[in-house]
Amino acid sequence: MKAYIFKRILTTIPLLLCVSFLCFVFINLIPSDPAEVALRVRQTPVITEEAIEEVREELRLNDPYFVRYIRWLGDCLTLDFGVSYTNPSRTVLGEISRCLPATVWLAGASLLFVIILSLPIGFLCAVYQNSWFDKLMRALIFMTTAMPAYWIGLLLIWLVSIQWDLLPTSGSGSIRHMILPAFTVSLTYISTYIRLIRNNMLENMKEDYVLYAKVRGLKQKNILVRHILKNSLHTCIVAIGMSIPQLIAGTIVVENVFAWPGLGKLCIESIFNRDYPVIQIYVLLIGTLFVIFNLLFDIIQYLADPRLRGER
Amino acid sequence: MKKRIFTLCLALIMAAGTITGCGSNKTKETEKTSLKGTGIQSEDKKVKEELVFVNYRDIRDLNPHLYAGEMYAQDMLYDTLVTITKDGYEGGLAESWDISEDGKVYTFHIRKGVYFSDGEICDANAIKANFDAIIQNKERHTWLEMMNLLVGVEAPDEKTFVIKLSQPYYPLLTELGVTRPFAMISPKAMIDGGTKDGVKEYIGTGPYVLKEFETDKYAVFEVNEKYWGNKPAIKKITVKVIPDNQTRILALEKGEIDLIYGKNMIDADAISKYTDSKDVSVAMSDATSTRHLVLNTTNDILSDTNVRKALQQATDKKAISEGIFYGLEEPADYLYAKSIPYCNVDLKPYEYNLEVANQLLDEAGWTKKNSEVREKDGKKLELDLLYNSDSVTEKSIAELLQSEYKEIGVQINITGQEEQSYRDNMKAGNFDIVFNICWGTPYDPQSSLSAMTAPVYGDYAAQQGLENKAEIDDAIEKILVSTDETKRQELYKYVLTSLHQDAVYIPLTYERNKAIFSSELEGVTFTQSQYEVPFYRMNFK
Repeated sequence: MKAYIFKRILTTIPLLLCVSFLCFVFINLIPSDPAEVALRVRQTPVITEEAIEEVREELRLNDPYFVRYIRWLGDCLTLDFGVSYTNPSRTVLGEISRCLPATVWLAGASLLFVIILSLPIGFLCAVYQNSWFDKLMRALIFMTTAMPAYWIGLLLIWLVSIQWDLLPTSGSGSIRHMILPAFTVSLTYISTYIRLIRNNMLENMKEDYVLYAKVRGLKQKNILVRHILKNSLHTCIVAIGMSIPQLIAGTIVVENVFAWPGLGKLCIESIFNRDYPVIQIYVLLIGTLFVIFNLLFDIIQYLADPRLRGER
Repeated sequence: MKKRIFTLCLALIMAAGTITGCGSNKTKETEKTSLKGTGIQSEDKKVKEELVFVNYRDIRDLNPHLYAGEMYAQDMLYDTLVTITKDGYEGGLAESWDISEDGKVYTFHIRKGVYFSDGEICDANAIKANFDAIIQNKERHTWLEMMNLLVGVEAPDEKTFVIKLSQPYYPLLTELGVTRPFAMISPKAMIDGGTKDGVKEYIGTGPYVLKEFETDKYAVFEVNEKYWGNKPAIKKITVKVIPDNQTRILALEKGEIDLIYGKNMIDADAISKYTDSKDVSVAMSDATSTRHLVLNTTNDILSDTNVRKALQQATDKKAISEGIFYGLEEPADYLYAKSIPYCNVDLKPYEYNLEVANQLLDEAGWTKKNSEVREKDGKKLELDLLYNSDSVTEKSIAELLQSEYKEIGVQINITGQEEQSYRDNMKAGNFDIVFNICWGTPYDPQSSLSAMTAPVYGDYAAQQGLENKAEIDDAIEKILVSTDETKRQELYKYVLTSLHQDAVYIPLTYERNKAIFSSELEGVTFTQSQYEVPFYRMNFK
């Protein structure tokens, strides 16, 4: 078992190297001169050849491509991600560690919404299959999946903040500020999980063990909660494992609509400003998160499921 | 089976544990801040001396000698030697100044009793320390011609500050008056007498001081108790960060913010929506800069003045103004609006007249044969129009022009490119026709004309095909060193008339600065610099 885990961890190393190389290559394929971009970003009104040369020197852009990649990789390993072009007084590490907590909070709150809402709704939809409740929920799921987060966010601001005057429109600082953005992010996932739970439960209801449980005279409630629901959650947990990095990466649009000072907002701002070092690290971070969570949940699944271990 | 359920439950409990655990921590932390937040809001309602402003990004690095900070915020904290107003220059930190006969020596008489907000005195020595810090980083500022002409600065006594130039240079006062880099920071805030590697604190002499700053969230400014001028009516300004256009407007409607200000902060739809509103007011500035098309005179087809003139006459600016900008941007007849200094020159605008345009093209030898598109020696009259795809309006204008020019038998292929490559191509001269916007006040006309003489923007490339390019460049250089007002006006007249007659630029509309704000707010005006927000003139009813 240890050997398996060790092997899995080893295989992620070339994968991570690939991710880092792609990050570097893609950013450097953009056909603008990073030195000129940096000058423009710093709002230097007239960009002269001398100024460009000076910035090239400052950013060490004159070295060959591969040398720069190796140096960048080495710097990354020591957590030295360089300096933001837009704000030369801020380091990329500082920017990421400033924004990451806000995004983790938002993703956490969204996850909470997902669990609190999709569990009971999915459960009820399965139990009262084809009832008016089930049909209404399915219609709602269909709608929320089809609507883009940007639009839902604005509609929610208009309805909840302006018409009902219940919550602030945007910004951060309190739980009240977090409700709307977290709910907006969670909507897509809620619909996915409701469907997942509902379908899994319906599948499980057809299983033999349910029939035996009924024969044994167990209460219907017990069968539903203790047996069917529990068995249906298995796939959900694996899915949630991959949803966590997705949630962190998926807050981009919502963070901008709600002025939430997290990674997504940093990313969009960096893209608009061509702040290459920040974009590079953002992509690297999200890529690494996916790889790590994939690894983690593979191992958890391996531990949890004897069939995968080949044990009897 | 049992083991599996156990592990699953364990995983669930762990997940739930972390989530609720996080939740409770967060409650404590955020309650504290939310109390503070509501405090600010309730005060707002009682005493209307506090304004909530909004920007799409935070104030960033407010070092006054560099270019990475938001200009409106730098303008709130720091003062310059002179102030640029509609009617000319006014005293800032310098009460008055003398210019030597030859125009090479400027002597500034420094205002008495001005202190930085940290208590340091702002005398000629402090100003000299600032200039020294700026000169240390000279390369970064060479876009200002005065940096190239600077011989030295002196502070013979604490009331007198002297700037010596190698040549006379009339826009000196303008360059000293723009927000950066010649704004004064307390010498105590400098690091080893320099500012090029950052500053310790943002300490200036301006009407406001920076009280609180949370990166990407908000910044709080309060009135500077030591300010030398009239203290502003608005005592406290909170600047929130809201990147999304729609959210900003919703926040204004809800009353969370009082003012949205700036060219790129508000679209024409929002302006027209609130024009007749009771709760929200709208303000528009005079023309600040001109949207125009640049025609590349090195292009085979466009090297013919008649073709350029035909395009001028086939451009329906009124349709653009009304159709795309709801009349908010007026049609432009000249490269620089007449309200711009030295630009009130008597020129005959090219009027929209398809007949004349057709006639001009016929004369140039471009004739309609079988197809819709004109031809000459077997070559089609086909031109590329490059626009910045990040700009929604440019695309609409491009499409409108495409259909208009078709009527006179000119085929336009429109290409949108994202901003960086659009600029790269413009600079390299890789275009037939390209969209551009003037720099705007206070850089127009002197700085933008001066940029035409060097290969830094598309203008230089586009003008290469002009016969009188050398003379135009020569005149521009003479303008900058001229000491005689009448001669300078003459030279401007020559340059502007030549460019107009050569028909290199097709002016489209005059861009204006905009603001939408709570109707309780008064005194929302615009200054000569389009990047400043004059909070000191505002007050609540």
